[in-house]
Amino acid sequence: MGKRIYAGIDIGSLSSEAVILRENGILGYSVRNTGADPQRVAQECMEEALARANVAKEDVLSIVATGYGRIRVPFADREITEITCHAKGAHFLFPETRTVIDIGGQDSKVITLDERGAVTDFAMNDRCAAGTGRFLEVMATALETKLSELGQRSLEAKKGVPISSMCTVFAESEVISLIAEGKRREEIMRGLHEAISSRVYRMAKKLRVKKEITFTGGVAKNQGIVKVLEVLFKMPVNVPDEPQIVGALGAALYARSAGPRAR
Amino acid sequence: MENERAREKLIKWAVKSPLTYRLLRPVLDLLTRKNDNEPFKIWVRFLLDAMNNSYARKQPVVWMSAFTPSEIAYGMGYVPFMPEIIASVVTYLGKSKGPIALANAYASSDLCSFHRCALGLVMEDYLPKPDLIISSSYLCEGANKFFHYLASYYRCPHLMVDAPYRGGSAAKKYVADQLKELVDKSSRLLGLVPDMSVMSQALELSNKARAYIAEINRLRRSRPSPFPGSEGLSYLAGMVFYSLGSKWGVDFFKTLHLSLEQKVAKGEGYLPEEKYRLLWLHHIRPYYKNEIFKILEEKKAAVSFEETNYLYWPALEPSKPYESLADKIISNIWAGSLERRVHAIEEMVEEYDIDGVIHFSHWGCRQSCGGAAVVGDVLKQKGLPYIVLPGDGADPDNFSPGQTRTRLEALIEMLG
Repeated sequence: MGKRIYAGIDIGSLSSEAVILRENGILGYSVRNTGADPQRVAQECMEEALARANVAKEDVLSIVATGYGRIRVPFADREITEITCHAKGAHFLFPETRTVIDIGGQDSKVITLDERGAVTDFAMNDRCAAGTGRFLEVMATALETKLSELGQRSLEAKKGVPISSMCTVFAESEVISLIAEGKRREEIMRGLHEAISSRVYRMAKKLRVKKEITFTGGVAKNQGIVKVLEVLFKMPVNVPDEPQIVGALGAALYARSAGPRAR
Repeated sequence: MENERAREKLIKWAVKSPLTYRLLRPVLDLLTRKNDNEPFKIWVRFLLDAMNNSYARKQPVVWMSAFTPSEIAYGMGYVPFMPEIIASVVTYLGKSKGPIALANAYASSDLCSFHRCALGLVMEDYLPKPDLIISSSYLCEGANKFFHYLASYYRCPHLMVDAPYRGGSAAKKYVADQLKELVDKSSRLLGLVPDMSVMSQALELSNKARAYIAEINRLRRSRPSPFPGSEGLSYLAGMVFYSLGSKWGVDFFKTLHLSLEQKVAKGEGYLPEEKYRLLWLHHIRPYYKNEIFKILEEKKAAVSFEETNYLYWPALEPSKPYESLADKIISNIWAGSLERRVHAIEEMVEEYDIDGVIHFSHWGCRQSCGGAAVVGDVLKQKGLPYIVLPGDGADPDNFSPGQTRTRLEALIEMLG
């Protein structure tokens, strides 16, 4: 019997992740900024994940690439969309998942799935990056706060200041104006989180959302968004320990189910 | 700068000269002599002839919106000119960005990009001047306003056909009366005497083409799919809009029918391998260079049929032109109640043995995209994978290649 090791790699618009998988679970993973060269970051990401898993590249039986840069991973055996991979990964971590909310760097998606983890329907944002990770990054800068603290600080406000614009550029101006008007920063942050969550909620309403909901992608690390989503959907939302790697995990699971590559 | 201006002037002169189209015909015939896509070649010849006639102005040039029955123009001896179709051809030739950018300075960017492209071409004075403009209230709400604006721009008369929301005998009479009025008024305005025998001939020609369209649609049920959906959405749809009532239309659909008959007899599909059969909803697709159909081909997914080519109207009665064209107008599945369109889509899904559905969502287009969610609900209830594909038919700047690929591939992954 070989080592039965598989890998998934997710090249997103802002961050890239690799997951090394064995039959009994994740052996190692890595997360990096994508930068301007997706091909290079794919290589580096994979090498880092392999090193952390203490696995040699030759031992990986099959690799599946996902994410917007999936077609730029020369060493992948197969490409699968992040929609299908996030569903698979979320289902693996939380088998009762029937809805996935994935908010990444420049995309937000709501995916419904069946009891096997297969996609039944999806909705995604159209063209612009409003209400995504990049949006939050810009707002954190405007609010002179670390991105990692944005969610927690938003929870300190009892109510949010309504934010009318969801265009990243206009919302940034609006936030600056609100600061100048003397609004509390925490209330502005809460308003931003409510605006993003409402946008995702409206997108989800196009689908038949069923419980359980699992929240994936980098923005799932933001507790402020998680809390507002739970209020809007009126149900708890599962958040994986490392929500950024769920797409890569799903890709690795597909690599595993397809078996070794043809040599 | 001077050279650039001289070049532009020369191009405009060439575009507006009927001679260009007469010279292009033998040149293109020679260049495409090894191309065995005869229907496409007829489309090109038809367009060249239409352009020649439009710029030569030997007969009145009547601009028409795409959904106004072209039989009226051919039956009246007018030269129909359809700016929306011409905008799609200009887009196909990779030249839509300039006119759209020009029009954006005057029109809202929410206006359909085909109309903005045509508007830009008008402003640059590339198009043949209309003697009359005819548009219809169905199914594009923006079209009437757009054509009305053009009529004031060119200071020419504008006649409109209004179609009621619901069908029935009162609706038919309402439209038939308008068509009669339209024929009377346009003849008066253009100083012509209508010859109803020519009108009857146009309806007969339209009927002949219609009979071939019915057969073509029947052949397209075959597995593998014999005709590419990308072409169904381009020149095939173009001929349905523009050529019915002319000899060109009969020739085109007869030739296409023959070609498909041969393909089906040999069991030839348009893809090397067909695993999935898709239905395309909406009348258009992006006409600029894009990878939509290449991605689908890679995934062995054929666009087996398009709703725009659904044969919705009954055969015309040449002796009753107004009544039967009114019938055609009120039978339009995209006008009026959404239920009628949904039923037709369900029928197409059944007849073409469809595995998945793509609803293209053209920027600024309300008539079709407004119903996308309802159509989706019905199809999803039947367990049919369905996606809305946002994009723009004419403006390449309003298209996301990455997101488009993801949506298409996710659809195929849902098909299993």
